[in-house]
Amino acid sequence: MRMRHKLTAGLFAIFMLGTLASHCRAQEPKQIQITAKRYSYEPSEITLKKGETVVLIFTASDTTHGIEIKELGIKAELHKGKPVKLTVTPEQTGRFVGKCSHFCGRGHGSMRLTVNVTE
Amino acid sequence: MIAASMTIAAAAILATILLGGCKATPPGRFETSVITTAERKFLVGGKKDKNPLPATAENIADGKDAFSHYCIVCHGLDGQNTGVPFADQMYPPVPSLASKRVQAYTDGQLHWIVTNGLGPSGMPASKGILNDDELWSTVLYIRHLPKAGSLGEPPVYTGDCPAPAAK
Repeated sequence: MRMRHKLTAGLFAIFMLGTLASHCRAQEPKQIQITAKRYSYEPSEITLKKGETVVLIFTASDTTHGIEIKELGIKAELHKGKPVKLTVTPEQTGRFVGKCSHFCGRGHGSMRLTVNVTE
Repeated sequence: MIAASMTIAAAAILATILLGGCKATPPGRFETSVITTAERKFLVGGKKDKNPLPATAENIADGKDAFSHYCIVCHGLDGQNTGVPFADQMYPPVPSLASKRVQAYTDGQLHWIVTNGLGPSGMPASKGILNDDELWSTVLYIRHLPKAGSLGEPPVYTGDCPAPAAK
């Protein structure tokens, strides 16, 4: 009988841990991979929801780049091959244009990442 | 009347150029005067455009940073040609950005010149190379240049640039 109780308690604990882990996974913010290369971001346009936390993972594939989106409080240097995770929770809707903030060559000024934030 | 004056001036300048051949000789006082007036009053746009960036220390520093990407090759680190070996041998010579002639442009005109270039002076267009924030912050830096010579010479002219790697 005691053995049966132990088994039940063990199974219950496993069930609870599984549920908790699953719950935690559900709470993890969405991730968006963005590649920076001369002279564009891929994708060049993303859409986020107001109030929803997302993790933007930037990777520069050819040389050092940067990203700056003033309205969303984003600014980072992106070194070649080293992913940079930026967590953002947009608090206003609109269309925001990010720019490369590290000079990368003759097309530097045309590097744009458009972020649409919707309700 | 203005058009007639401009035509005569243009003809005089053309004659000077033709007589002088292709040599990059310094332009005369008359030529400089006519070109400067024409640029300021008729040729350079953006006269009424306002700089959207306030002149904060951070924005001026951003302008200095943007300026250092490649403007320094002709204008020097200080915008006053320090260390640029050919600055006074171009046609026309590279002006000091601290000079009255340059500072007389409005912010909008300086932004227009940096954006679109200034032919046939050799000043290139930076549209697409610098983004608009960088173009405007460059204008702020031009308005707040350091003392001439205080920043030294561009590394490219001092031998301090690393040599290309051997293949």
